[in-house]
Amino acid sequence: MASSAAVPFWRSAGMTYITYSNLCANLVRQCLKEPYKTESLTREKVHFSASQWVDGKPEKPTTRSDSPE
Amino acid sequence: MAMAALRREGRRIAAPLLSPHPINPLRSSLASSEEQAFSGVRFISTQIVRTRMKSVKNIQKITKAMKMVAASKLRAIQTRAENSRGLWQPFTALLGDMPSVDVKKNVIVTISSDKGLCGGINSTSVKISRALYKLNSGPEKECKYVILGEKAKAQLVRDSKKDIGLSITELQKNPLNYTQVAVIADDILKNVEYDALRIVFNKFQSVVAFLPTTSTVLSPEIVEREAEAGGSLGELDSYEIEGGETKSEVLQNLTEFQFSCVMFNAVLENACSEQGARMSAMDSSSRNAGDMLDRLTLTYNRTRQASITTELIEIISGASALTG
Repeated sequence: MASSAAVPFWRSAGMTYITYSNLCANLVRQCLKEPYKTESLTREKVHFSASQWVDGKPEKPTTRSDSPE
Repeated sequence: MAMAALRREGRRIAAPLLSPHPINPLRSSLASSEEQAFSGVRFISTQIVRTRMKSVKNIQKITKAMKMVAASKLRAIQTRAENSRGLWQPFTALLGDMPSVDVKKNVIVTISSDKGLCGGINSTSVKISRALYKLNSGPEKECKYVILGEKAKAQLVRDSKKDIGLSITELQKNPLNYTQVAVIADDILKNVEYDALRIVFNKFQSVVAFLPTTSTVLSPEIVEREAEAGGSLGELDSYEIEGGETKSEVLQNLTEFQFSCVMFNAVLENACSEQGARMSAMDSSSRNAGDMLDRLTLTYNRTRQASITTELIEIISGASALTG
């Protein structure tokens, strides 16, 4: 069965279900026809900056962004 | 006497040119002590009041503009927040929301805004997070904060910076969307160990009412433990699982997806509350500025009128003294 083989496959690649479903959603978005395709792809932009804290001090924040600075 | 009146007249014209303390440099030119006593009363600086009025007016303009901006942003985000409620409701129906669950590793996800001037919504969520921390900390228990937004970070750094695990800012540069929140949720899941994630946010009820809310997302092991113990999760075993996955795999996928959905709703609700709170805060501050302006205008006009009246009296009485 294809689905049962797929689960350990992406899980063992270090992905969570969220990443997996996002990848799938993105694939579906790319299947749309043109005016809707760019619209839906520009809507889903990621931008945030995260920083880990170690012993009460923030480490250097890593910015994750789809849009060019 | 007439000379004195003339001199005063000249001073009245000269006074607005000298700012902001037109009284002091003139005091040296005054000869008699009687005049000195009057000068403070008569020529209270209208200049200062006028600049103050101008600045209050400008502040009022700014707050009014901010209110308009917040109102239009609120309208855009409100429908999205209300639509996103449909995402977590099935999860709560299936897995339940158990804020009272007692586990070892607690993670409190505090959601706040990046910008200020929005009333008390950030301090409310910080307050609730602190209360949750106190409830869930103890021997053999771990409790960490994950902070979204600049404001809660600034408040929590002061007393519990040892317990912060992760902080995320600059969420609202682009309009909020599911992909972004899902990536954040993924980051949180990868970077912290948890038995229960408690998400603290302000739920939008109306433009003036925000309910501080917590949603609890349990880890798959805890869900199984609770399901075996019975209670509200006891019915979970009656579900049939299709395909080759085991129950724990399904549960893991489910809880991860639940977390990202709950986060999406929480972030939207909080952004919506933020705009609502900002709108009402800016509304009341522009109203206050208006009140202040009214009072200042009244004082200004009264002082002006009073100084004109005294001068008229002086001129008339001087003239009558000359003729009489």
